[in-house]
Amino acid sequence: MLREHRLKVVLMTAGLTQELRRALFGWFYPVHYNLERWAYALQRISGIAVTAYFLAHIVETGNVVGGLSVWSVPSVDFASAIWTATFHFLENPLFDTGLIVIGFMLSYHTINGIRLTLAEFGLLQGKPSRPDFPYEPKSFSKAQRAIFWLSVLFATATAVYALNVFFGV
Amino acid sequence: MKESTRMLLHYATGLGILVVGGVHIFTVFLTGPYVQNLAFASVIMVYRNILLAVTLELLLIFVDYHALNGIRIILIEFHQGTNWERGVSWVLSVAGVLFLIYGTRTILIANALA
Repeated sequence: MLREHRLKVVLMTAGLTQELRRALFGWFYPVHYNLERWAYALQRISGIAVTAYFLAHIVETGNVVGGLSVWSVPSVDFASAIWTATFHFLENPLFDTGLIVIGFMLSYHTINGIRLTLAEFGLLQGKPSRPDFPYEPKSFSKAQRAIFWLSVLFATATAVYALNVFFGV
Repeated sequence: MKESTRMLLHYATGLGILVVGGVHIFTVFLTGPYVQNLAFASVIMVYRNILLAVTLELLLIFVDYHALNGIRIILIEFHQGTNWERGVSWVLSVAGVLFLIYGTRTILIANALA
């Protein structure tokens, strides 16, 4: 009975790992798909990246009042010392480069997210028609394509701006 | 909560972030030199301004929901099943509440800091 149960758990996790692996490969390798699929993959990847940044940012800004252990109003000197130390710890080329990447991801996610919101509520949808070579998705209309490229442009501009802010380029 | 309600909230919070996130980026990058704006005194001044503090709290709530619901969507696209979907929802909800408590603590204490 116990062995049977263990076997079931092993089989379930094996199936899950396989599914996860397939799903991950599907995303990070959207090469044989169309542009809409690239937009989707980038939206998911940027979403995960920005979520990771959000979590780090909550911890980081928590140091403005002195960090994880502070649950009542501390002295200004204490909070100031912790925050200044945090800021100097984070002020280096590695984290600055990270922020440039996050800036790119955030801008892309924002503008492409506007496209997805419009599409969700039925706006800017392409007209359905007979599928012909080269089988471009009808849902991904010209207007939507324009917004997608705008998001790439905006993301690049943000990265360049961040490069200027952090490295003075 | 119905799946459609969760997704409606996902789009609503996304649009909310567009507004309050815009204010947040503006106060950090476009009101003066970046390093100067992140000095302790300037940061505390932002938290002590009640309007900006409310903006930060709203941003925290919106991003918390939007980010964790996004992760939930990704995870239930990987694998389907009642237990998996329920488990993912529960774990992420608890995590979301914890982030919200910690972030709100920061905002409240920083607002009260003399």
